[in-house]
Amino acid sequence: MNLEKLKAGNSILYDGEMIIMRDAAQKRLSQIQVSSIDLPIDLKDKFVFYAGPSKTPSDSVIGAIGPTTSARMDKYLEMLFQLGVKATVGKGERSDLVKQLCKKYKGVYFLAPSGSAAALSQSVIKHEILLFEELQSEAIQKIIVKDFPMIIAIDSKGHALWD
Amino acid sequence: MVNNMIENEIKEKIKCSIINANSRINKEIKPFIDNYSGPFSNVLQDNYHVSSSKGLPLCQDTGMVEFFCFLGTNFPLKKPLQDVLDEAVSEVYKNFPFRYSTVDDPLFKRKNRMDNTPAIVHVHMIEGRGLEIKFLIKGGGSENLSRLYMMTPSASKEEVVEQIVSHIEETGARACPPLKVGIGLGGTSEKAMLLSKLALTSSNSKHHDDPRYANLEEEINNRINKLNIGFQGLREGISCYSVHILTHPTHIATLPLAISVDCYLCRTGGVFFES
Repeated sequence: MNLEKLKAGNSILYDGEMIIMRDAAQKRLSQIQVSSIDLPIDLKDKFVFYAGPSKTPSDSVIGAIGPTTSARMDKYLEMLFQLGVKATVGKGERSDLVKQLCKKYKGVYFLAPSGSAAALSQSVIKHEILLFEELQSEAIQKIIVKDFPMIIAIDSKGHALWD
Repeated sequence: MVNNMIENEIKEKIKCSIINANSRINKEIKPFIDNYSGPFSNVLQDNYHVSSSKGLPLCQDTGMVEFFCFLGTNFPLKKPLQDVLDEAVSEVYKNFPFRYSTVDDPLFKRKNRMDNTPAIVHVHMIEGRGLEIKFLIKGGGSENLSRLYMMTPSASKEEVVEQIVSHIEETGARACPPLKVGIGLGGTSEKAMLLSKLALTSSNSKHHDDPRYANLEEEINNRINKLNIGFQGLREGISCYSVHILTHPTHIATLPLAISVDCYLCRTGGVFFES
């Protein structure tokens, strides 16, 4: 997918990989980064999904999963872009800083449908825990999705859906 | 463990009600979801079918459970309600594919408690032999929009409306709209907050007994809908289901105004016991 061709307001069905992480994991990554130890994860070209799934039922790939409020993670976005992240996925509007950062790093912010975590779980075909397992639902996880519905909220030119 | 029969009955009924609130769509709001035709409408409609057929929660954020208990003075309770309700919450969240969303220490360790307790429990004593329990499944996204404003006692109706509408305008899109809005007006700071939460347990059609406040609920609802926040904050469909105000006498020097909001799923429940 050529992210630079996407425009704010476009809808897509995404097939591919996403790295799940939210408040607690990003706080830890930023602390590790400050102490300049090598990061325990490679985020180059990754999509980061702000989410914390429910427990996985025994016969399923994953439990209910959906986006959490992205604005809480605005303060970690530049760190993610510097680590090579291409796009973030979450819910809700974000600060003007995020528009500037998307433009600067040619990154994209996608909205995923919120409050519809049972339906979204059906788009996940693979799920594994990568790091910080003790954080439970807030651990860093990897999922592979098929036909995952998203809307481009901020494109790589820094234009936002809500402008 | 709860051994007493009445405590056991309370626990089992509450457990069923918590499971239903998390996995079955609220009947009052289902028509609004079915009538919505904007972005992601197919996913939202699909969601409640998948949740009931697969036994999954409607939202991954299965919340903290907030209980409002109206306990009759002659109701034969032998255990603290907090203990009974904590057991109910713990058993449900351990046995169903819900999310453990509570951490033990708010600032330092934030270690997950692995059973979603404690429940948040408020007990009000009333006359009689009954016990009524209402609850909210309260997600973090909507909870972060809770606000308390200590208005001045000379504030006008217009200033109160303006404060509420501007808060929702600024933040409403973050809490998975359309929203239900609860307002606590009067009392003290904590009383107003509590009333704003209790207001969220109201049916959409329930309005304040005093027609002046009932009109105010309608006026605020209209103003919020004119903001055109829309489903998912995407500017299509309604922005607010209903506004519910609860009032209380207050100090001559104060006018506390508390705002609480619930997300579009409005996951609530209630149980009544008669001894």
